[in-house]
Amino acid sequence: MFNVGVSQAGSVNIMTSDKGGLTNEQIADLAVDKIVSISDEAPAHIRQQANQFREHLKKVMYYYLLLARSEERGSIIQVLESSGHKEMAEYIRRL
Amino acid sequence: MAIAQAMCTTFKKELMLGTHNFATNGNTFRLALYAEGSGGKSSTTATLGAATTAYTTTGEVANSGSYTAGGGELTKVAPTNAGTTGITDFADISFTTATITAMGALIYNDTNSNAGVCVLDFTSNKTSTSGTFTVQFPTADASNAIIRIA
Repeated sequence: MFNVGVSQAGSVNIMTSDKGGLTNEQIADLAVDKIVSISDEAPAHIRQQANQFREHLKKVMYYYLLLARSEERGSIIQVLESSGHKEMAEYIRRL
Repeated sequence: MAIAQAMCTTFKKELMLGTHNFATNGNTFRLALYAEGSGGKSSTTATLGAATTAYTTTGEVANSGSYTAGGGELTKVAPTNAGTTGITDFADISFTTATITAMGALIYNDTNSNAGVCVLDFTSNKTSTSGTFTVQFPTADASNAIIRIA
């Protein structure tokens, strides 16, 4: 006889924002949650190391997210300015 | 509890009947959001759990921003084995410029009679106000994946 033991649904993580999109910090959290999973059953010193790695990774992710958004805005500003929309370009520069 | 995390009981039977195909070119699965405490459309309240058999509009959150009735289509990740466990996964899903308060969600098979797959309990109300509502699926491994058969 074959016995399929358990079928389970995992737990999701919900991230929300008000009056705009997710912040860089929230996105960094989402990315790190996806990359680093720390078992509650892991030995304490392993968990501690994993948590330190997680915090370091979050800082790196956060920095590059800021850079990516800033660079994308730069590209958009350039396109707007070169097509004569200087006022709109200025709005985006101030974001 | 009006919304209780569970695999739909009918889903387990339907797996044996070949109703659900999670391959990347398989069936279309959607995620719908639900409210408790009369927070759903037309002041309805969701009752979802293992006994849920299919998508229902009762208790579903109202249309807002990119959220429309029936919820959003999920991007599938091909099923695989993690050790002796069979797992499948979905890409995270976001509803933007939306004002939503949801307590849970239902994943269902849009291709085959809106058959229910599993109920997700957020454990508390999650709210976005003219913003983004993101559902992040867990790490796809034997202990955490969104759908696991051990």
